[in-house]
Amino acid sequence: MPSINFLFSFLWQIRVMDPSRIGLFDLAEKRLVWTAQRQSVLAANIANANTASFQARDVNSFASVLAGAGSIEPVRTQPTHLAGTTPTGLASLITNPPKARVLDGNAVSLDEQLTKVADTETTQALVTTIWKKYVGLFNMALGRSS
Amino acid sequence: MAGDLNQALNISATGMDVQTARLRVIAQNVANQDTTGSSPGADPYRRKTITFESAMDRAAGVEAVRVKKIGLDEGDLPLRYDPANPASNAQGYVKLPNVNTFIEVMDMREAERSYSANLSVMQATRSMLNKTIDLLK
Repeated sequence: MPSINFLFSFLWQIRVMDPSRIGLFDLAEKRLVWTAQRQSVLAANIANANTASFQARDVNSFASVLAGAGSIEPVRTQPTHLAGTTPTGLASLITNPPKARVLDGNAVSLDEQLTKVADTETTQALVTTIWKKYVGLFNMALGRSS
Repeated sequence: MAGDLNQALNISATGMDVQTARLRVIAQNVANQDTTGSSPGADPYRRKTITFESAMDRAAGVEAVRVKKIGLDEGDLPLRYDPANPASNAQGYVKLPNVNTFIEVMDMREAERSYSANLSVMQATRSMLNKTIDLLK
């Protein structure tokens, strides 16, 4: 059955070409997930810029996420215990002590948050550019014009 | 990942939403700054206040924002001597609304600033989404 053999070899090739098995794609994917999560946390901070006693938050730095300091899970001493609710994301939230609070107890500094947004956007642009360049290298190796 | 970015868009949208509600309250206050009562001794328009609260999005673990309460400013009502006014009391004084234009204008500036901050986050998120989609090309 040559067609079956062909199918198998084709599937095997797909398995080999799994992008997350290539170090750079894996890293880039993690970084993209991290930027997206950070963006939504920063958006929440800015949306709550006038909420009384709201404290701005951030996600863990990407370096510490890579080092394995992800979300903290409660330890289960009995297998029948519930696992508890843990954030499903890659990075966990951190709360830095506020530099200043206004009278209503809000501790969101708009300019600081917007700087972080700009930083996240730049990082994301960098990652997508590197991704595209790398795909371009593959295309070049395959003899396609990218 | 795109889910996180969409979430960020939604959160920014709630932020813009509450700032719009705030601007509506301010507009109401400014428009009614001379509204007196119509019967003798009646209370005039009272300044409205708006407060926000963060609303937990359980699935995401992040907090969007919503309007908590639109309340009334229970501050003192200034009096003005104007016996010809239909709302004047027996002594000829009229109760005026406790709206201070300076406070309202300052509040308006702050609402405007918060609104544009939310808008720039939204623009940044949209460009990030577009760049991610561009990876497919």
